[in-house]
Amino acid sequence: MHADRTNRIMLLLLALLLLAIGLDAGAASIGVYGTSAQHGHLMDNPTGRLVGAHGVWLWPAAAVAALIIALLALRWLLALLFSTDRSGDLVIHSNTGAGRTILDNGALTDAVVAEIEGYRGVNSARARLIGDPEDPELVVTAALEENADFSALRDRIETGALSHARQALGNRTLPTQLDLTITSKRARAPRVV
Amino acid sequence: MRLINRVLAALLSLALIAASLLLIIEVIVDRASHRTAIVNWHTAYHWAQHNTWTAGSIRVTCGLLILAGLVLLIAELKPARVSRLAADPAGAGAEAIATAYTRRGLAAAIKTAVTAVDGVRSSAVTVKRRKVLVAVTASARDRAAARSLRDPITDAVRQRLGALKLHQTLSVSVSVTPRSR
Repeated sequence: MHADRTNRIMLLLLALLLLAIGLDAGAASIGVYGTSAQHGHLMDNPTGRLVGAHGVWLWPAAAVAALIIALLALRWLLALLFSTDRSGDLVIHSNTGAGRTILDNGALTDAVVAEIEGYRGVNSARARLIGDPEDPELVVTAALEENADFSALRDRIETGALSHARQALGNRTLPTQLDLTITSKRARAPRVV
Repeated sequence: MRLINRVLAALLSLALIAASLLLIIEVIVDRASHRTAIVNWHTAYHWAQHNTWTAGSIRVTCGLLILAGLVLLIAELKPARVSRLAADPAGAGAEAIATAYTRRGLAAAIKTAVTAVDGVRSSAVTVKRRKVLVAVTASARDRAAARSLRDPITDAVRQRLGALKLHQTLSVSVSVTPRSR
């Protein structure tokens, strides 16, 4: 979601790059590479000389590399701003292979939420389907009232609403994550159980 | 941290795009008309040709780069604070369901149990990866009465943790202070 793994890797690389540049230049500055390097001008080093000698082709090559980097960075930025881990609509294949049913993602999650919020002791619930539509994962968060029987409610959600969602998808082992939180708020309206 | 990473990542990607476009424009303009377009890099080049590695500005820049690199490295490598604590695997009919209590939810559940103990005026609960820290202010003003609350509070917390059936046993640390006024 939102390229979180890419973000972390890129920021780690940036940290290592900053450290490498700082340590390398710092080492040159305190004379680790010898007195002549320490008192030499900034451009008077093998890299500077290489750039000076091969500038005719090196700068155009750098521009091409920059173009690739700009495109990759643009893709990264778009992923950051617009990507989501939510599944699209789900395709349910029939056992006979005679046809297929498209199940609206929101219809399933709304039904799960409605059922869980109908249990006495549940203040609110949220649900979403994430991942590949062919192999989705159901993620449910339920806020339980502080005086509820947490263990009983947990069992009820697992064997009730979540089990029904699995039945609807025809997948008895649908990977499911259930996050329970406890709140001091009371449900908005009395529930009918 | 995830949100901060997203902001930093957006800034980094924008910086990469800007720097790349700048380089491309400068190379094209230099090849076409032998002049600079946006940044007068001749000045920077001239400065680099006349300064040595011992320059104060170079050392300060190195120090800042090392500091920034270290801070970012530590921040990225630091394990994330636990946000959910797994519950024991469920029984029949609930296979492949990973149930957990959120850290805040668990703290709220424990706080409710602690506040229900007679003699407790207020409490603060912190849930860590393996430990629950409970700081209680007693209704009583004398220390002995406050201290006597420690055991019932610990029992109440353990009972609540037991009812939640967490996968991992958390240790409980309770501190009780008497009411000051």
